[in-house]
Amino acid sequence: MDFDYSTTKLIPQEFLAIVLAGFGNELVPLTGNYGDEPSPKALLPIANKPMLEYPLVWIEQSGIKNVLLVCPTPHRSALSNYIQSDSSSSFPSLRIDLQTYDETQDLNVGTCAILRHFAHKIQQDFVLLPCDFVPPSSFSLTQLLNKFRTETMYDGAIATACFYEGRKPEKGSHTDEWGLLPSPVPIVWDERSGTLLHIETPDDVDRNGEEIELRMSLLSRYPRARLSASLLDSHVYVCRRQVLDALQQKSRFDSIREEFIPWLCKPQYQRTKRQKYGHVLSPSANTINQSLALKHSTVHTAPVQQRSREESLPQSPPSDGQNEEQPRSLIPFLADDDEEESMLASLRVGLVVQRADGGYAARANNLHSYLELNRHFLSQTTYFLPTDQESRSLIDHKAQISSDSMIGHSTRVEERTTVKKSIIGQHCVIGKMARIVGCVVQDHCVIADGAKLDGCVLGKGTKVGAKAELSRCVTQCGYEVSAGETVKNEKLDVSDWTATPGSSEEDEEDEETSSEEESD
Amino acid sequence: MAPAATLDVQVQPSNGEPSRTLPKPQKEMTKAERRELQERQRAAKATKQAAVPNGVNGKTANNKKPTEVTQPSNVPAQRKERRASRAADTARPTPAPVNKPLQKVPLVAAADASVEKARGLRIFAHFGLPKPASIAKGEIHPTIVRLALQFSNFKITGANARCIATLTAFKTVIQDYSTPPHTTLSRHLMTHLSPQISHLVAARPMAITMGNAIRQLKLEISGSDIDLPEQDAKNALCSKIDHYIRDRIIMADQVIQETAGSKIKDGDVILTYARSSVVEKVLLDAHTEGRDFSVIIVDSRPMLEGKRLLSILSAAGIQCTYLLLPALGSVINEVSTVLVGAHSIHSNGSVFSRAGTALVAMMAKRHSVPVVVCCETYKFSEGVQLDSFTKNELAPIGDMFSSFPLTKPRDALTLQNRPNLEILNPLYDLTPPSCITAVVTEVGVIPPNSISSIPLALGRLL
Repeated sequence: MDFDYSTTKLIPQEFLAIVLAGFGNELVPLTGNYGDEPSPKALLPIANKPMLEYPLVWIEQSGIKNVLLVCPTPHRSALSNYIQSDSSSSFPSLRIDLQTYDETQDLNVGTCAILRHFAHKIQQDFVLLPCDFVPPSSFSLTQLLNKFRTETMYDGAIATACFYEGRKPEKGSHTDEWGLLPSPVPIVWDERSGTLLHIETPDDVDRNGEEIELRMSLLSRYPRARLSASLLDSHVYVCRRQVLDALQQKSRFDSIREEFIPWLCKPQYQRTKRQKYGHVLSPSANTINQSLALKHSTVHTAPVQQRSREESLPQSPPSDGQNEEQPRSLIPFLADDDEEESMLASLRVGLVVQRADGGYAARANNLHSYLELNRHFLSQTTYFLPTDQESRSLIDHKAQISSDSMIGHSTRVEERTTVKKSIIGQHCVIGKMARIVGCVVQDHCVIADGAKLDGCVLGKGTKVGAKAELSRCVTQCGYEVSAGETVKNEKLDVSDWTATPGSSEEDEEDEETSSEEESD
Repeated sequence: MAPAATLDVQVQPSNGEPSRTLPKPQKEMTKAERRELQERQRAAKATKQAAVPNGVNGKTANNKKPTEVTQPSNVPAQRKERRASRAADTARPTPAPVNKPLQKVPLVAAADASVEKARGLRIFAHFGLPKPASIAKGEIHPTIVRLALQFSNFKITGANARCIATLTAFKTVIQDYSTPPHTTLSRHLMTHLSPQISHLVAARPMAITMGNAIRQLKLEISGSDIDLPEQDAKNALCSKIDHYIRDRIIMADQVIQETAGSKIKDGDVILTYARSSVVEKVLLDAHTEGRDFSVIIVDSRPMLEGKRLLSILSAAGIQCTYLLLPALGSVINEVSTVLVGAHSIHSNGSVFSRAGTALVAMMAKRHSVPVVVCCETYKFSEGVQLDSFTKNELAPIGDMFSSFPLTKPRDALTLQNRPNLEILNPLYDLTPPSCITAVVTEVGVIPPNSISSIPLALGRLL
C-alpha cells in the first residue's frame, strides 16, 4: 500500500509562495552584465550566501511547500543552476517552479502585469515575496500566516501585509553618489486590530504634496488610527485568491507595492468601492463558510448591512474597541437561516509590524541596505580560520584578519594583508600588504599587492591593480581597476572602461539584472 | 507545630541522594545537621535551576516528582506542608543555621520565580494551560488549521458555535477526500479524520457537544453503504451533517425559544449570565412576540461576553441592565426568572457552564428565584460530573478578549504572571442540580433529577 499517496492527495495545499526576482535597478552597477552573462539581483551574495536563499529558507520554515519563482528570461539559466545546485540543500522540501517573463532592462514590466500573467497558475491563497527581503530571525512567516488564517475566517479579511521598522543609517555611511536613500512612505494603520488603512502613493503625493487626505469613514471606523512615516514595506503580502480577480479588473495598475496594495486598503472603509468590488473580493456563493458558527459564537457580534444614515442610530456598539470590525449600524439578530447566510465580510487588510527590537529586517534593494545587511551579518558571527587543509594553506599566517570578517572558500590571502569588517567571497586572490576595510568583495576577485579598499562593494571578478585606492566605490562584475588608480565615491561601470573586458577566463556566473519595479 | 526546617517539598527530592559527600549517614545526624544538609542541597539545586530557565515546564517536572522522604522526622512536617499548599513561602527561616540561608537567599531568589510559578499551578496542574496549536506539516487540512487557530485565539467560542464550526469544517474535509485504492470510504475516512480531530483538540480541549457530534458522525460513516459511488457517499454524509445541525441545534433552539418564551410574562425581569446563544434567541424571540420584559445581564472577566449580548439586546429594543458578577446581590431581589445556558448537562443533573453560573444559580435559589437552564439535548453527557476541578479549562493569560478599555496602554493593564502572582482563569464551573428549577430542552421541560431520562425520551438516539 502506498502510504505517501494517501496523505498528499487528500490534503490540498494551503498556500503558494510567489517570489519575484527582478532586475535590480537600484543595485546597478552590481547587477550589470558580466561580459555577456547577466548578473541577477537574486543571486547577489549577502554574507556569502545568495540573496534568494533567505526568503526561501524563511518560506520553508513556515511549512509552505510550493514556490513559484518568477524571473526575467535572461536570468533563467543562472537561477535554475542555483536551484539545482548543492547550495539549495538549505531548503530541501521546497518545490520550486521557475517561470520567466519577457523583460529587458530598459523596458520595465510592472509587478502587476507579472501577477496577472501567472494568475492561471495560482489556484489557492498565496504569499507574495520579493527576492531581496531578509527577515529577522525572531519573526517567522508562520506568525504572518496565522494572522491571515485567523482573520480571513473570522472576519473576511482579504490580505495581510508586513511592515518593518528600518534601522537609522549611521552618520557618514551614507554616500549620495550611490543614490538617494528611499524615504519611507507614510501609512495609516490601526494598532489594536492590526489593520492597514491607508498608504500614501506617489500619485497622492503628486496631487497634494503637503497634506495627506483621509476619508472620514476611515476615521469613524477606526478612531484610534495611527500615522507613521518610519515603517518600511517588506513587500510580503499574504492574499486570498480573490484578490487576483480584483487585480484582473484593475488593468491600469503597474506596481503592486505602489498602486495595488494602497488601492486594496480602500474597500474596507469606502462604501462605493465596497459596493463595486465587494462581490469580487469576497464571493459568498458556493463556499462553505463558517457564518452559522460565527452567529452562534459568544464573542462575536454579527456585522450587518450598513444603512445610509449611520448617525441616526440610537446606540452604538461598545466603544472600547471590542467591536472594531463592525460597521456602526446593527439590525436585530436574525435567527432565520434563510436570510443572510453569508456574513458581511469586512474586507480588511491586516498588518503585522515588526519593530526594530524584534530583530533586524531589511530589503536589499539599494546599495546602502545591501551594504548594511552584509555588515549586520558580520556582527552576528565571528571569524574562524578555515578548517580544511586546502583553504587553510591559502591563507598566509601573517595576514591579519579581524574576527568580524568573513572569508569564503578557497580564497587566497597573502601575507601582511589586513582584512577588517569585510566579507570576501570564494576563490578570490588577495595580494600582499593590501588593506581591506568594511568592504564586500564577491567571488573570483583579484586584488593586487598594496591595494587599499575602504567601504567598497566589488562585483564578481573585479580586478584591482597594485597600489590602487578605492574608497566607497561600487564596481560592476569584471571591472578592472588599473594600478595606482585612486577612485572615491563612484559607481564604476564596465562601459566607462575602454579596455577589453578580461572576464572570459572567469566562470560563467555573471548575471545581469536590469530595472525591475519591485526593487525600488 | 511543624519543625520549621522543612522547606518546600517539591523542589527537593534530593533528600534521597546518597550521602556521598557526608561523613556520616543521615539517620545519625542531628536535626539541625539534617537541616543544613537540606539547605545546601536546595541551594545547589537552585543554582542549577537558575542556570537552566525552565519556566512553566518546571511545574510538570516538580509537581510530578514524588517527594521522597528519607528522613522520618520530616514526614509529618511534609504532610502539613502539603495541606498548606500553594500559600507556602520558600524561605522559611530556620533557627539553627541562620547565616547559611541568608547567604543562599540571593541564589535562591533567582530560582524562586520559576519555583513559585511551578508550585502555583499545582491546583490545576492536571489540565494546565492550552498549548498553541502546532501544525503537523502536510497532514492537516487547511480548513482545520484555520479552525484550530480560531479556537485557540478564542474567536469562535461557545458550545454550539464550536460544534457547528467543527461540523462545517468536516464537510469541507470530506468533500476534499478521495478514497485511496484498496480500501473503502467507510473504513478509511475515519482514520483520515482522526489527526484532524486531534489537531482541534490540541488547540482547545474538546467540548461535549463536539464529542457527541463526532460520535454521531463516526456512526454515520461506518454505516455508509459500501456500494455507493464515492461522490454520492460524500454527499450523503454532508447532508447528514447538515441534518444534524438543523435538527439538533437550530430546530431544537426554535422549540426551546417557544417553550421558554412562554414562561416569560409581561413585566418580568429576566436575569441572564454571560452570553448563551440559546438564551439570546429566547429573549429576542420573546421580544418580537411582543412581550414586555426587561433583562439584567450579569457578566464577568476575562471574557466579558455579556457586553456583546448587551449590544445585541439593546439594539433590538429590549431594556437592559448590565452589571458584573460581584454586584449580583444588589439586584437579585428584583429578578423574576433566571435564564442561563449550558455547555453540557450530566446524568446526575448537574450543569457544566461558564464560570460564574453556579454563583448565579445559588444566589437565585437562596432568594427563591426560579433558575431555568436552556439546553439542547445533544449537550447531554452520559457521565457524572461532581465538581469542576477534575475537568476544566484555563483561559490563556493575556488580553485575548479586549477586556480593558483603552484609556491606558494595554500593557499596563494586562495582568501577567509575576513572581508572587499566578493568574488562573478557569472557564467552566458546575451548577449542582439542587440549585436548578428546570431544564428546558426540545423534548420538554425536565426537572434536573430526571435528566438521565433524556436518552429515553429521544428513543435512545443520542
